[in-house]
Amino acid sequence: MAGTGLIAGLVGSMLGVGGGFIIVPILTLALHLPIQVAIGSSLVAIVANACTAAGTYTKAGMTNVKLGLLLETTTIPGAIIGGFAAAFIAPSILSALFGLVLIYVAYTMVTRRHFISADNQSGDYLHLSEPVKISDNMYGSLTDSYYDQNLNKVVSYKVTHIPTGLGTSFLSGILSSLLGIGGGIINVPVMHLVMGVPMKAAIATSIFMIALTAATGAFIYQYYGNIYPLIIAPLIISIVIGARIGVELTQKVRGLVLRRIFGILLFLVAILMFLKTAKVI
Amino acid sequence: MRDKTVKKIKVNEGRLKNWVSLDFRVGIAISLALVVIGFIMLVYISGFKDIQPLVTLEQIPAAKVISIGILILLLVPVIQVILSIIHFSMKRNRLYIGISVAVLCLAAISLVLALT
Repeated sequence: MAGTGLIAGLVGSMLGVGGGFIIVPILTLALHLPIQVAIGSSLVAIVANACTAAGTYTKAGMTNVKLGLLLETTTIPGAIIGGFAAAFIAPSILSALFGLVLIYVAYTMVTRRHFISADNQSGDYLHLSEPVKISDNMYGSLTDSYYDQNLNKVVSYKVTHIPTGLGTSFLSGILSSLLGIGGGIINVPVMHLVMGVPMKAAIATSIFMIALTAATGAFIYQYYGNIYPLIIAPLIISIVIGARIGVELTQKVRGLVLRRIFGILLFLVAILMFLKTAKVI
Repeated sequence: MRDKTVKKIKVNEGRLKNWVSLDFRVGIAISLALVVIGFIMLVYISGFKDIQPLVTLEQIPAAKVISIGILILLLVPVIQVILSIIHFSMKRNRLYIGISVAVLCLAAISLVLALT
C-alpha cells in the first residue's frame, strides 16, 4: 500500500498528474481490492497530493482562484453524479471504462506536448501585450497575473471561452468520481488550449480544483461505505513523501523521456484492466 | 499605467491566495500528523501483521484517530471555499460571493451525505 502511494506521488508530481492512474490499477490488479474501494481510496490520496501541490502553487501566485471556483460550480455536480453512478455500475464496466481512459492518457503522454509538468515548461504560453480591463468579461475580473521565474517578468492573461470550460469541467467531475482520477487530464488541456490560460497557471488552477472535486467524490464513496481508513493511511502518508521526492527529481530527469516511458507503461496497464474485465486474469 | 494595472491585480488576488495557501499547508500538516499518530497507535496495539485493511471503525476503535485525520484532509478544500466567501465579502464582490456560496452548498450536500 505504502509502495503504491510512493510511486503515485513520485510519478504524479514529475508528470503533473494526480496519481489515480497509478493507484487504482495497483490496488485492483496487484492487491485485488474491489474497484469501488480502490477508487474511493484513490480519491482521498489525490486530495492529499493535490493539497500538498496546491499550497506551493497558490503561494507562488500561479493559481487563478476565481476561475477555479467558477469551474467548480459544474465540476462538483459532475463529481456527485459520478460518485452515485459508480455505486450502480458493474465493477467490470468500471474496469473497462478505466482501461479506455488509460489508453487515452497513454496516447496523450506519448504524443502531446501539453502533458508536461509545470517545472519543465519554458514559458510557451499566451500573455497579453496590453493590460487587461476588469470589465472585459461577463464573469467579472476573470483575469490574473503571476510572476514567472523563467522569464523574470509578470505575466497577465485573460480567460476566454468560459461556457466551454464549464461544460468540460462537468465532464471532468463525472470522470473524477467515476474512475478515481483527478480530472487534470481534461482540465489542463482545456484551460490552456481553449480558455487561453498559460500552462503554469492552468496546472496550478487544475490542482486547486482537483482537491475540492476529489474531496466531494470521496464524501460520496464514504456514503456508500467504500472508504477504509487502514487502506488510506499508508497511501496518503507515502503519496505526500513521493510527491516531495518527485519535485526534487523533476529537475534531474528528462521529462519527455519519462513521459513516454510512463505512457507505454499505462498502455500495458490498460490491457491488463481489459483482461481483468474479460476475467482472463 | 500598465505597470500599475498589473500590480493592482496581483495585490488584489494576493491576500486570498495567501489565505488559501496557508489553509492547504496547515490542513495537510494537521491531517498527516493525525494519520501518522493513528497508524503508529494501531501498529503498537494490533501489531503490523495483524492489521487487515478491509475493516470498519467499529472493528478497530484505534482507527478513529486516522479517520479524524482523513476527515480534516477532506475538509481542507471546503475551508478554502469558506475563506473565499470571507475574502469576496470584504471586497463586496457579489458575483463571486454567490459563486463561492453555490460551490460551498454543493460540497456541503456531499459532506452531509458522508456524515450520515
